[in-house]
Amino acid sequence: MTQAMYITLVSSDNFEFIITSEAANVSGTLRSMLQSTFKETSERRIRLHEFDGRVLGKVVEYLYYNLKYKDSVDVPEFDIPEEMALELLDASDFLDV
Amino acid sequence: MSRRPLKYRSDTSSEGAPVREASAIRGPNSALTEFLRQQGISAEDIRRRHLERINGEEQGGEGEEDGGEGGGEDGEALLEAVEEGDTVRNAADEQMAQEELEIRIASRRKRRAAAGKDDEDEYTDSETEDGIDNDGDRVTHTRRKIVGESEKCAHCFNDFVVNVYSKISESGGYLCPDCTKRQLDKERAIKKNQLISRKKRQRLAVALLDRQDVKFPSLLDLAIKKVTERIYDVEDLGDIGDVNMKKIAKILCRNRSLDDNTVKLFLNTHLSKLEFWDCSGLTSKSYNQIAAYCPNLQELTLLMCGRLHNDNLNYFSTNLSKLTKLDLDGPFLINDATWKNFFNTVGDRLTSFKIGNTHRFSDDSFLTLMDKCGANLKSLKLSRLDGIKKKESYDVMPAYLTKLQELEISYPQHEDLVDDTLLINLMSINGESLSTLILDGCSGLTDDFLINGIRPFGGSLRHISLQLLDQITSEGFVGLFHGWSDNYGLNEVYLRKCFSLGDEGIVEMLLHSGSSLVELSINSIKDLTALTFQIMKCANLTYLDAGFVRCIDDEVLELIGKNCPQLRVMDCYGNNRCTSNAVIREGLKVIGRQSDTV
Repeated sequence: MTQAMYITLVSSDNFEFIITSEAANVSGTLRSMLQSTFKETSERRIRLHEFDGRVLGKVVEYLYYNLKYKDSVDVPEFDIPEEMALELLDASDFLDV
Repeated sequence: MSRRPLKYRSDTSSEGAPVREASAIRGPNSALTEFLRQQGISAEDIRRRHLERINGEEQGGEGEEDGGEGGGEDGEALLEAVEEGDTVRNAADEQMAQEELEIRIASRRKRRAAAGKDDEDEYTDSETEDGIDNDGDRVTHTRRKIVGESEKCAHCFNDFVVNVYSKISESGGYLCPDCTKRQLDKERAIKKNQLISRKKRQRLAVALLDRQDVKFPSLLDLAIKKVTERIYDVEDLGDIGDVNMKKIAKILCRNRSLDDNTVKLFLNTHLSKLEFWDCSGLTSKSYNQIAAYCPNLQELTLLMCGRLHNDNLNYFSTNLSKLTKLDLDGPFLINDATWKNFFNTVGDRLTSFKIGNTHRFSDDSFLTLMDKCGANLKSLKLSRLDGIKKKESYDVMPAYLTKLQELEISYPQHEDLVDDTLLINLMSINGESLSTLILDGCSGLTDDFLINGIRPFGGSLRHISLQLLDQITSEGFVGLFHGWSDNYGLNEVYLRKCFSLGDEGIVEMLLHSGSSLVELSINSIKDLTALTFQIMKCANLTYLDAGFVRCIDDEVLELIGKNCPQLRVMDCYGNNRCTSNAVIREGLKVIGRQSDTV
């Protein structure tokens, strides 16, 4: 496994989430970031100051949820805690997921 | 050869059988053999009947021969074959019968060989054909094993003991427990796959009816769903963005969950535009709150606002001082006096007024609207207003309206209220600016208005809807569209249920506007033939409603897909010649085929 296969997402409170680039590609924003000439492309490390670790954790959970169940029929429900709904709305809007 | 029903000889069964039983010495017999014997059914009998039948057929279907034909000398030879000797015939006949029988047997054998069956048992007579196994000594292909017997597995050739759970493999023979388990798993997997694919098909069919792709819900969708579910608990949506706010409002309206509680979330002092598509849950109090919390509103759309009260509209007119566009659907509680008051207060500030579905909007209210606001109106919609009953009311429109960009007069109380003269007058005054014209259900209009109203003055028209105009014909369309150089092409054309239109008219329309058309409805124009669709080449068409146009079949469907590269959605309800066999281009959704059942 080369390093290029993984992306590190850093939250505002410095939580780091190391995810596969496949999962990162679910998000339109991350995808275009990684395909551009941005610094992030070479560093494989994206700082997301807007979101704290809790929200980002949930987003990452969704990325993998999407990856896993995209083509299946019986999809279990993705749980969103009520108190996070609005923040997630904002995050998903930003990340285009 | 049809099989004859078996006849039981009851006479022998009652008397003869016990005698025979007593006298005969036999070995062990099966129950079936015993039963047949008791009923007097024997292989010999059956064979005899068969021979008789063959003979009968040979002699030109004379039916069964009876024994009365006289017992000739050659009879003895036959008696061997036909035991009882009740049918006697000459040797020549018998010879032929035998020959034919042999031919039959030979051909039968050939057929069997061709079918790949191995024909082990020598086929000599008609026994098997009649299906009675006299002796019961023929071995069945897969002999049933008794539980407890040991057996070789048909699959892995291991020895095992047969139990009640042992399965028989496809090739015959029992399977050992391991192979049985494997076989069961295989069957289960097949069943599961079938179930999944059926579910998938169902989902696809359901999504197709909703005009959607089956797609995985995005996190955004999920979050919005959560927010709307728990909207009662969320007091402050805060910085959620106008776009999302609109999205939530739409979702709420769609779920009919917009009510006094939820409406508060959308009211905001800086708001200039408010759109609620389903206000049926809102009470009078909430309507007042709209005006109280959003004094800067310029555009207000309230659909299904049946509970909008006189007081509310009066409050609107005093409090919403910047209101320029109002769209109300179903405000049937508002009376004449209140309408008048509203128009008097708003005056020429109003640039857009859309109203529909109320019988309380009367001739007087309409005249006040024309008088006070007519001069500045750019957009006017009058739909299903049964309160406007006088022709004069409509006829004053050309005197006031001069700046119209959008005009909708649809489903008037009576078709005579809206006639060609009125439309020609309106077009001549507003033609330059008018881009949208909707005249659905004004069935009093004829070709005259097309040729003398739209053709000379409708150069700016882009969107035209003439649904249910049964008096406009192909001649009118040819007259309108043939060489119509004033107009550069229409974008949206709706001609649903214009029954008198035919190929000529539609072809002329396509030749004029084909390249600019984006949406087209030719629903229920029943006289169209495939010719129209051969000519139809619309580079920009994205939506086509071709329901109940019976000439559309799989081939035409394919042709349309090919000639309209941008086409995304096509309705074809009621076209029962469109089947699942049609070749449909990728990216095109065809809705309403009978084969797409849920």
